[in-house]
Amino acid sequence: MPPEHPLVISGAVEGPTDETVVRRLVKEAGGSLDRVYGKSGKSNLRQRLAGYNRAARHAPWVVVVDLDHSADCAPPFCEDWLPQPSNHMRFRVAVRAIEAWLLADHERLATFLSIPAVRVPADPEALDDPKLTMINLARQSRRRGIREDMVPRPNSGRHVGPAYTSRLIEFVETEWRPEIAAERADSLGRCRMRLKELIDDWIPEA
Amino acid sequence: MTKTEYKALRFTRIHVENWRNFTHADAELQRRVFLVGPNAAGKSNLLDVFRFLLDIASVGGGFQEAMRRRGGVSRIRSLAARKYPDIRICTHIGNDENPTAWAYELSFTQDNQRRALIKSERVARNGTEILRRPDVKDKSDPERLIQTHLEQVYANQEFRDVSDFFASVRYFHIVPQLVREPDRSVGKQNDPYGGDFLEQIARTPERTQKARLRRIVEALRVAVPQLKELDLERDAKGTPHLRGRYEHWRPQGAWQNEEQFSDGTLRLMGLLWATLDGSGPLLLEEPELSLHPEVVRFIPQMFARIQRRYGRQVLLSTHSPDMLRDEGVGLDEVLLLLPGGEGTEVRAASKFTDVRELLAGGLTLAEAVLPRTSPRNVDQLSFSFAD
Repeated sequence: MPPEHPLVISGAVEGPTDETVVRRLVKEAGGSLDRVYGKSGKSNLRQRLAGYNRAARHAPWVVVVDLDHSADCAPPFCEDWLPQPSNHMRFRVAVRAIEAWLLADHERLATFLSIPAVRVPADPEALDDPKLTMINLARQSRRRGIREDMVPRPNSGRHVGPAYTSRLIEFVETEWRPEIAAERADSLGRCRMRLKELIDDWIPEA
Repeated sequence: MTKTEYKALRFTRIHVENWRNFTHADAELQRRVFLVGPNAAGKSNLLDVFRFLLDIASVGGGFQEAMRRRGGVSRIRSLAARKYPDIRICTHIGNDENPTAWAYELSFTQDNQRRALIKSERVARNGTEILRRPDVKDKSDPERLIQTHLEQVYANQEFRDVSDFFASVRYFHIVPQLVREPDRSVGKQNDPYGGDFLEQIARTPERTQKARLRRIVEALRVAVPQLKELDLERDAKGTPHLRGRYEHWRPQGAWQNEEQFSDGTLRLMGLLWATLDGSGPLLLEEPELSLHPEVVRFIPQMFARIQRRYGRQVLLSTHSPDMLRDEGVGLDEVLLLLPGGEGTEVRAASKFTDVRELLAGGLTLAEAVLPRTSPRNVDQLSFSFAD
């Protein structure tokens, strides 16, 4: 049963897919994601991070960023981006991109994409470019709709297909199981844990 | 030709000369087309080429009527036109497999009574010419050159598909106030500004109507999550009203009608209805108006999914950077309108080598292309009015 008055949390992410993921994680942890900032890419988020961090002195915040190739692993990345997180700030890094968290629920993703489950890599956090893996898996889909929505057209000059984002959002909202995915994606497991602590240990200021 | 093949037809290329503010413009057209440019760059004028073809081919239309609606040749002809006073439109129709299944070309000018006169009309199927005017008959009776063969049922038999395709074009620019006050638009049919929008819904067979309204609620979930149900009801006077049930603290929720919907909700409903109604190319004028930026950024995705399902082409004009924030918008789908001294130039974003580099460096498509669309030498505008 969700609590009657879930803790309201603010968040900042890189884009709409990440927003849906974080929304589910916050809800699962017993909170409610209220305002979501950013959604205009990674560099935009970084410029505003100091502001979010200040706001997190007084209210609970979660920020999720893709590691990409900004660093070899998460700790130096956090040190570089946010050396002094505020009390109520939960700054989390997806290794190497949020797609890895989705690939980690390999069974549901395989059904969603209409591909054999064995094709989904077993260690999504070791992938160099999880987004590219996602697209290459979609390319093998038995369903034309998945292929046309998610795989870029040859002359489009883009890395993703025309409805890539809305397909991922659909997957996250309807199929994805964070608790299963956390078994294969350590950074997701940590993110869930920190969110749970944030919400469970919250003491409202007088 | 089977029905599905017909559905998949689209405009694959447009070429115009001396049309309004385009002295010479040529562009390939994808299934989605985003026309981007500053004010008065000619976004609506480019869309008007397709409306012009629609006007010629539609019932109650025709070449002379299409000219009359536009105020005659001199209103259409580019101000920058000098040596080549003929106005020329050439378009290809096809699909990805065969982009030139059809080609239609029309050029015209005006006679000394300011009457629009066809200089040439050509149709080709798979590269083979099947109509070329003026022909022998036109030469013996020049009066024939005031009408296209496109508009004549007895003359367009061999290329009826082209005529039907042009007639299937829909233009849409809904004005919420007109939807709310249908009295202002009494007698209008298929009013692109939405005057008979509710009547249009009411005229749709009930099963189709209900199914579409359900799909609209589904699609609106992103923008208006409280909306749970939509239906159409006639009041005592027989006027149709669109009603929406909103989730509310009351157990049954609350019903509201079109007078209470916000401008944005009403425009979005109109937009969705238009995309579900018909199968021909859809022309949209600034669909982002009155919509929240977060909703606008989903519009390209919405069209992508509709297209895959129905094969329908969408050509839209936009001012909104949010529309171009979507990372799935192809560079070949974005046409930049670049104003210059010799009229506006049209170029696909994919033609600029540095755009790809800017995207790779983390800029959004909007950030990469919009600076290109601001007019150069704006300061000189003020000189041109000096004596």
